[in-house]
Amino acid sequence: MIEFVKRVIFAIREYLILIALLLISLSLISQSENPNLQKVKSFGFINVAIINSALQNINFLISDSQELEQLRMRNAELMLRVNMLREYAIENNEIKGMLKFTEEPRSDLLPSRIISKNFGSIIGNIIIDKGNNDSVKTGMPVINHLGLIGIIYKTSDSFSLVRTLRNAKLSIAVEAQRSGVQGILSWEAGKLILKNIPATYDIEVGDRITSSDFSTLFPPSIPIGIVISKDNNVSGLLSDITIQPYVNFNEMHHLFVMKVIVTKQLKDFELNMLNSKRENE
Amino acid sequence: MSKYLKPILILIPIMFLQIFGIPFISFSNIGPNIIVILLVYFALINGQIYGSILGFLFGIFFDLLSGGILGSSMFALTAAGFLTGYFYNPNKIEANFTSLNFAFVVFLASIIYFFLFTLIGPDKFNFDLMKLIFERSIIPAFYTAVIALIFIVLVPKKSF
Repeated sequence: MIEFVKRVIFAIREYLILIALLLISLSLISQSENPNLQKVKSFGFINVAIINSALQNINFLISDSQELEQLRMRNAELMLRVNMLREYAIENNEIKGMLKFTEEPRSDLLPSRIISKNFGSIIGNIIIDKGNNDSVKTGMPVINHLGLIGIIYKTSDSFSLVRTLRNAKLSIAVEAQRSGVQGILSWEAGKLILKNIPATYDIEVGDRITSSDFSTLFPPSIPIGIVISKDNNVSGLLSDITIQPYVNFNEMHHLFVMKVIVTKQLKDFELNMLNSKRENE
Repeated sequence: MSKYLKPILILIPIMFLQIFGIPFISFSNIGPNIIVILLVYFALINGQIYGSILGFLFGIFFDLLSGGILGSSMFALTAAGFLTGYFYNPNKIEANFTSLNFAFVVFLASIIYFFLFTLIGPDKFNFDLMKLIFERSIIPAFYTAVIALIFIVLVPKKSF
């Protein structure tokens, strides 16, 4: 009998090994957000970043200069200012003199360099060369001269992991700048999509999309992208709006971390929201 | 154990190429996976059990270093390595490395890899089976097979 069982096991050993390995993989997937596993992943990811950083430094020394860095920073500041002026113009036309801007949004921009990118169909992360030593903290927005890139997700002493718009796990409250239509933007099936917007809402191809006043993660009015298509679902009641981001994720090499100045109460509230999101994931 | 060491050592530069180099030759998020090519290469030489275990090991390293979901590449590469094992024949190893045969096996293994990787990934995929099969599986698998053709031409035959 034992011999028979041994023979059977030997005959199907390939399948037994396959099943065992697949089960281990599936159990790891279910434990993917376990803090201990996250630490191991961060360690591996940061090591890749360090090696890549060393390789890129050679090219960086040859091609870049401090002046170029300053111009990029100035460009990003001007982008934010121009967009804010657009916002003011639209609001002024609607309710002239009725709004009081008691506090003007301010931002400190920390120039930073991308040292590694990982863009797949689902995961879109980048690592930058600034971390805790530069006062970078989880939850800070990341932009370049074209618009929003993402948000700081993890930090180490010298590096930070940025979760970009091209990451299925990042959802952002956004609005159409012209009409004020609000929605939740997320990366789905290789596209940035605003899902389930009522078909009757005033949103058209070409509308600029910016971060919303209701966003708990980003300051309002950061440019994100432009509407390139509007597809009604089967019932015709709801639409999926596809957004083309302003930022070219494949070509970017430099960016800025926004050290957003907010009241402590709001800051705590935002971080609580981000943390609860991470726990839910 | 030593027979796993060589492919893992080769995997390290291949992984860097996959993470940092392949995005430059990708179009609309569709790009080849050269780790599958390496896996098929060794699985065709050493068999099905070896292919499954090697796929699992490749997956661990790739998941850890790429920042992806831990377990997703492990699952998909294990299945791809297992499938490749069906083409293993100790008496016809060289025959498997003729250009078209090798590319065909890479194509099939890549379909399995891309299909499973997309299916179990975190993407809130609008479940469209045809899109999953063609856009996310067959097209990148074909791209991978084309890269495999170049690879097999460059590899010296005596290494089999």
